[in-house]
Amino acid sequence: MLRVLIAKDLRRAWRNPLPWLINIIVPLMMTALVSLAFGGKSSGGPMGRITFAIVDEDKSRLGDFLKGAANQGESGKFLNPVFLEREEALRQINSDKLSAVIIIPEHFMLNYLTGRQQVSLELIKNPAQSIHPAVLEELLGAVVISLNAVSRNFQSEFPDWLDVFEGKEDFHRISVLVERAGKKLEAANNYLYPPLISYEKEVRAKESTTGKGASDSGFNLFAFILPGMAGMFLLFLASNAMTDLHRELRFRTLERYHTLQERLFPFVAGKVVFTFVVLLICGGIMFGGGTIMFGIHWRNPFATVALIFGYAGFAAGLMSLLVAIMPDERRASALNTMAGMMLGIVGGCAFPIEGMPAFLREHVTPLLPSFWFVSTVRKLQFNPETPWMSPALKMAALSVILIALAALLFGRQFKKGLRT
Amino acid sequence: MSLLKTDHLSKTFGAIHAVDSVSFQIEAGEIYGLLGPNGAGKTTTISMICGLLKPDAGEVIVAGGPFWSDPQKAKSIMGIVPQELAIYEELTGRENLEFWGRVAGLKSGEAKTRTTELLEALSLTDRAKDAVKNYSGGMKRRINLGCALLHRPKLLLLDEPTVGIDPQARLNILEFIRGLRASGTAILYTTHYLEEAEKLCDRIGIIDHGRLLAEGTLSQLQERLGGDRVFVLEADFGNASVEAWDGFLQRFRVIQKAEGQLVVAAIGVRDPAECLRELLNLPIRVENVTLKRPSLNDVFLQLTGRSLRE
Repeated sequence: MLRVLIAKDLRRAWRNPLPWLINIIVPLMMTALVSLAFGGKSSGGPMGRITFAIVDEDKSRLGDFLKGAANQGESGKFLNPVFLEREEALRQINSDKLSAVIIIPEHFMLNYLTGRQQVSLELIKNPAQSIHPAVLEELLGAVVISLNAVSRNFQSEFPDWLDVFEGKEDFHRISVLVERAGKKLEAANNYLYPPLISYEKEVRAKESTTGKGASDSGFNLFAFILPGMAGMFLLFLASNAMTDLHRELRFRTLERYHTLQERLFPFVAGKVVFTFVVLLICGGIMFGGGTIMFGIHWRNPFATVALIFGYAGFAAGLMSLLVAIMPDERRASALNTMAGMMLGIVGGCAFPIEGMPAFLREHVTPLLPSFWFVSTVRKLQFNPETPWMSPALKMAALSVILIALAALLFGRQFKKGLRT
Repeated sequence: MSLLKTDHLSKTFGAIHAVDSVSFQIEAGEIYGLLGPNGAGKTTTISMICGLLKPDAGEVIVAGGPFWSDPQKAKSIMGIVPQELAIYEELTGRENLEFWGRVAGLKSGEAKTRTTELLEALSLTDRAKDAVKNYSGGMKRRINLGCALLHRPKLLLLDEPTVGIDPQARLNILEFIRGLRASGTAILYTTHYLEEAEKLCDRIGIIDHGRLLAEGTLSQLQERLGGDRVFVLEADFGNASVEAWDGFLQRFRVIQKAEGQLVVAAIGVRDPAECLRELLNLPIRVENVTLKRPSLNDVFLQLTGRSLRE
């Protein structure tokens, strides 16, 4: 019977493919949209290196110092500064070759060290490169804060430093200045380098398991974001796909089925299986798209796929139950949306659960299948040995229970006359 | 043995008695018409018979066994044609028939063979491969009917199967139903069309406000009016009252009294000419008297005090 029902739905979908194509195209568009919003392709690592220009119109030592800081050490992994004249930089940013242009204005060092005038760095962003200019703006903000901090702590010594930078070298004075600066920095050491224990722990986990190279070992932000987005989106898709069950009710075909077959379970199960297949395709698009567009390396693909299977079953089963609970389509749509949002948000799909109220975080979230799915997929990215079988099986079992409940409710409602 | 028997079937929705102690039975090869206006309780009765609704009281007996003792067995010998079209418009006529055949329990090969037979019988072979959404109203009705017949049900429940279609399509469907009766199928046919009930049904039950008011063959129902003719008197009644006319109610049964019109039937076997004379001699200014054969509407009028067409 299940095969007959699914074949019927497949035929109907084939004859009227638009609603199902929308279901499938939407995640594709979502993935592409997020990809564009976060900087498109990532050939040089998870986010790629950010190419920007520094225009030094000051031609001072301080300018040289800032330019040097931009492409040395850790910065060099993520930043790709080019040093250009203003006209050339503006030409390249207009040609979409740069994410931003940072201009160090004339007399920058002089004004900074003498405090005669307010100083400012100029930032020209290229909105076509989405998140990259925003990252640079944040970095520039950090530079400005650092310069302000230096200004507050070393202002009394700035005249001496100005002499040094202007080439009036007096090595004795320089040695005294450096020593004093060293002592001040030593006192501020604890503030500058506070212990970051949790961060250290994450880095170690990656280093110990990959060993393949930089592109695999780095933390990929999208591998964290995408499961959450997929977790929420699959719920909405399930709700959308399950509206076909409402259609069966509206056109009395479920009622007709019930006049021929006493058991409603196969009918509901057929609809759930169909929705489940749609969700698997959509999940495949989102997670597969994530691999292509964001360069995500799913570290335990089998477990991830198993979790997607479990979650798709749960989402389809849940939505069938909600259709059974809510007699009219309009109200059901509102309920489904609310349920999807609540499950998504409280389950940690949208925001990290650490930011949620303690009661939800400790007593509600751990009970939600959306949390089982999202947290396990995320954990698998940090540690491929994370146990995944239990959440996948729990979700699969839950989907069967939900389908049975939906069929039971439909049957009871028919008998009471609520569906006729 | 009757194929269907309802025994004091009742269903209440809140304060509304949708069906109130309805009892009737249908034999094989018989068409039983359940006639009543919209909202009379016809669809609720059918829903209880086919197990979509559970009765609050009473019992449905299908082929000698209580429906609820084995619902699936009872359903397997029934075919239900719902009032609203319950078919898949995206699918072709053939696909719809085959699908409902499979749901009814036929194997794939059986469903295919039976579909071909039914398409032929319903004169839809030429359009079998077209999507149902492209069919006319009458063709959709025929497919809707056919979907209930794949498994050759012994008992067919038809809930107003000709609503909203043109006269020619209606005639085709009625002819097809007569063919089913001839093959021995017991048919419950609900309608609010008097002509359909008169022409098609072997026995008729008149239902209103959930209660079965009368049942019988057409002639038995006509007999309730006192014979095979009624008199329609058109006059200016003014303040006149039938009770005030000497011996009138002993000789005539009042079927309906409306402004300017009185419908009566003679009590007992009487000469129509004599009845006419008596009516013309009433102490009112009579404008017209007509003699006609009583219709089901007259029966309904007598039972409910209102016309079925109102």
